[in-house]
Amino acid sequence: MDRTQTARVVDVVVIDDEESIREGCRQALESEGYLALVANDGAQGIRMVEETRPKLVLLDLRMPSVGGIDVLERLPRIDPRIVPIVITGYGTVDSAVTSMKLGAFDFIAKPFDMDQLLEVVTRGMARHAEAPQPSKPALKLVPPPRELTEADVLLRGLEVLGQFYALGLGGDTLSNRLRALEEEARHHAGHLGRIREEEKVLTDLVKDLKLVDEVIEKHEFKKNALIQIMLEIQSRKRWLPRHVNMWISRRLNVPLARIYSIASFYEAFSLVPQGEHTVQVCTGTACHVRKSDGLLSMVSTILGIEPGQTDPDMRYTLKTVNCLGCCALAPVMKVDDRYYGNPSLSDLRAVFESTKNEETSCKS
Amino acid sequence: MQKLTARDLVQLRLQRASKNGPEQRCVTICSGTGCLAGKSGECAEAMERELEKHGLRGEIEIRRTGCYGFCERGPVVVVEPENICYLDVRPKDVSGIVEKTIIKHETVERLLYQDKDGRRIRKFSEIPFYRHQTRVLLHANVLIDPKSIEDYIGIGGYQTLAKVLSGMTPAEIINTIKESGLRGRGGGGFPTGVKWETTRNAPDEPKYVVVNADEGDPGAYMDRSLLEGNPHSILEGLIIGAYAIGAHQGFIYVRQEYPLAVENTRKAIQQARDRGLLGKDILGSRFSFDVTVHEGAGAFVSGESSALMNAIEGRVGEPRPKYVHTSVQGLWGKPTNLNNVETWANVPLIIDRGAAWFRAMGTKNSKGTKVFSLTGKINHSGLVEVPMGMTLRELVDNVGGGVRDGKKIKAVQTGGPSGGFIPESMLDVKIDFDDLWEAGSMMGSGGMIVMDEDSCMVDAARFYVQFLAHESCGQCVPCREGLRQMVKLLDGIAAGNGKEGDLELIEELCDLLADTSLCALGTSAPNPVRSALKHFRPEFEAHIKQKRCPSLACRDLLHYEIDAKKCEGCLICKRECPTSAIAGEARKVHRIDYAKCTKCGNCLTVCPPRFSAVRRAPGLSPVRPPVANPPVQPAE
Repeated sequence: MDRTQTARVVDVVVIDDEESIREGCRQALESEGYLALVANDGAQGIRMVEETRPKLVLLDLRMPSVGGIDVLERLPRIDPRIVPIVITGYGTVDSAVTSMKLGAFDFIAKPFDMDQLLEVVTRGMARHAEAPQPSKPALKLVPPPRELTEADVLLRGLEVLGQFYALGLGGDTLSNRLRALEEEARHHAGHLGRIREEEKVLTDLVKDLKLVDEVIEKHEFKKNALIQIMLEIQSRKRWLPRHVNMWISRRLNVPLARIYSIASFYEAFSLVPQGEHTVQVCTGTACHVRKSDGLLSMVSTILGIEPGQTDPDMRYTLKTVNCLGCCALAPVMKVDDRYYGNPSLSDLRAVFESTKNEETSCKS
Repeated sequence: MQKLTARDLVQLRLQRASKNGPEQRCVTICSGTGCLAGKSGECAEAMERELEKHGLRGEIEIRRTGCYGFCERGPVVVVEPENICYLDVRPKDVSGIVEKTIIKHETVERLLYQDKDGRRIRKFSEIPFYRHQTRVLLHANVLIDPKSIEDYIGIGGYQTLAKVLSGMTPAEIINTIKESGLRGRGGGGFPTGVKWETTRNAPDEPKYVVVNADEGDPGAYMDRSLLEGNPHSILEGLIIGAYAIGAHQGFIYVRQEYPLAVENTRKAIQQARDRGLLGKDILGSRFSFDVTVHEGAGAFVSGESSALMNAIEGRVGEPRPKYVHTSVQGLWGKPTNLNNVETWANVPLIIDRGAAWFRAMGTKNSKGTKVFSLTGKINHSGLVEVPMGMTLRELVDNVGGGVRDGKKIKAVQTGGPSGGFIPESMLDVKIDFDDLWEAGSMMGSGGMIVMDEDSCMVDAARFYVQFLAHESCGQCVPCREGLRQMVKLLDGIAAGNGKEGDLELIEELCDLLADTSLCALGTSAPNPVRSALKHFRPEFEAHIKQKRCPSLACRDLLHYEIDAKKCEGCLICKRECPTSAIAGEARKVHRIDYAKCTKCGNCLTVCPPRFSAVRRAPGLSPVRPPVANPPVQPAE
């Protein structure tokens, strides 16, 4: 039953002092698409019914101060179309007879299961639909659409607030209502946040797997292109997460162990996330002879990381490399795609300052 | 695109030649990795703008070429047809070049090469660095845009292939290569023709040919420059080889650390394919052949032939035992001929000009030329090509312009991690596979590192052993554990913790590695250590017995100090110290805080030469604390 698309009145108000029953009922009702509000005693319940004019009220008979019987007596005066259903722990003939006399549509005896509840509610709803149209428009609450942000919830709260003012309600009623609304908003927002997170993780995952598929397809599903495939994924994603490796293994039908043996054998692969910029200091023989160790220790001091590490902001990964083949410029450093021959400390500072500002940098 | 025939090739060449006649004005700008790092890309853009400004864009061609070799002084710009060579060109110099040289036919003196006596040399071909070379393979690098197949065809490219496909039998080709005496340029020096014949005669099918461009040797970039600067020549050599051997599929295995080489190679393959120089029925013949590029992923050992083949098959690039040669059982167990980039690049030239031409260069057993990457403490480092038979001293002094800063040469290292050190006293050795081997080193792929008196041989030997220990694949115990132990011993010696008997233990380990390792990485690993020990034993002993590094290079046995007499208090070293370990005020002697100093040596580098106040000194910290902040005496 999809009722989420149409604006409508509150379906059910559940009045019970026992939280487990209250929340259980609400969840069962919401799972069926009903909009349910909850109240924890008779007085709050009556106010809520006055404000929202639900189709149906589920109420406990025994509650502190204003009890279920009192509520039952008040209901027809608020709106004769409301269908009251009684929940009772005293599954006795007495209380049942009393409540039926007072106009209860039906009653459910505790303990009950949710199917029983929903069956009674469905019948109650049918009864409500048969009843004549109300003379006074009821307050409308728009149910949460699928894409609901915290801002949406807040805006809806303000909208409702406006409607309350329009009805001339204030004081206690308002603050109670607001508290309930806030609770509801938090409830939704929490869910939404989690859904969002999961959705993002899933989207990223799917994106990665699609990338793998694309690269594998380009290499015509050839198993002997495994290293080439991994290299391309490495260069595009900058590291090889586990799900990517698993997916390559599955798509190419090669053992996962082989992928890991390749990834750990070659320098080019990384099994941990890399910084935004890769800084390579060449430690080939020509650079070594021209004191690349001095350059490396300067770079390491400026970036505050050792070779092989990534800084905590994920900006730079510092690596050493066997030979970049620019031996005449030794000692050589390479940042992303740019080469720097024998940079001085001020050059280095300028380079790292400018990559920070995402500007193009240049050689001394 | 239209597939070419042999006739089309000739026509294209003639068209191109008439367009690029000897009088055609052209500006070539080196766009190899070295020069690109020096902003040659921006120079080329500036050149385009300047020519546009003067309305000369249509008249003068700008050609972005491959590596010129003189990387030390790059970016290099040559103006043709005058052949004027400008060095160290910066984008701001470009407008001057256009206004003076292109328009007024004058030279910009300050950008010319200046020799020892202060004379300016105008012509590219007369610069000593180039004059002493015999540039056969690298020659085309300066003539063509490597991204343009038309340029390659214009200088006669693919004509040899046409000649081969139209009239030579595979046996004729193999005989020519055998006669030429070409030996493998990857280091081993195995006769190429014999290798080809083995694969051709191996009974199994299909056969494969492979270009080994996994130039893992640190300090060497010959293959990179050839692939970047003239990829079609390697491709042409490969196609000829494939035809001679009977292969229809080839692979080019190139390091991913060389992005430009990968890019240019892929582009060249695509262009060749589009024009019918690769693929089915090449140049209208019955011969079909295609090539795949395989990128290496950063492992030195993957350059070993069986490891490389493992990698191409999609497995970890580890060596396998070679009971049967890869030329008989290589890729997927099929006969596979693998040659180095430089070897393949020689092929079209030999076939075109004949075996006799090639044999005319070189020594009795080593023919032709060899490309070296000459680096280290030398004035003109760069990529050089010299005939076999030149002595190392000639190479260093004439081509390389001698050692930097007037220091004394100590040794030359050849052959990379598998080679050895040749001491100054032996520099008259000829560049020859066998002579170098006898001198305790090897030809190797072409890395040549010059070390001066400031280079410590313990440190250098340790560098190679560390490198190999890191690159050992770990399959066999002698290599994995032996190198690890050797690193420990050498680390100890370099840190001043060496003991009596360490050197003997190292020698014992060397023998073990050489005798029992699985592949060449392990068996040749002892070479650098052995040759260092053989020629420089006193240096090792000084580290062990006196806890002293005679060259003042080992970090743990030295400190930097500021000479109070020379320091002028200029604040430069203070400002340039990355750890703020230098304290001092203007015009007052600066001091180093040894608790903070990381010994990066930047203070020594930045101290102005007219002061030369920073120096290295033995020991961990000065024996006497320097005098605290004496005021500087005003200069007379």
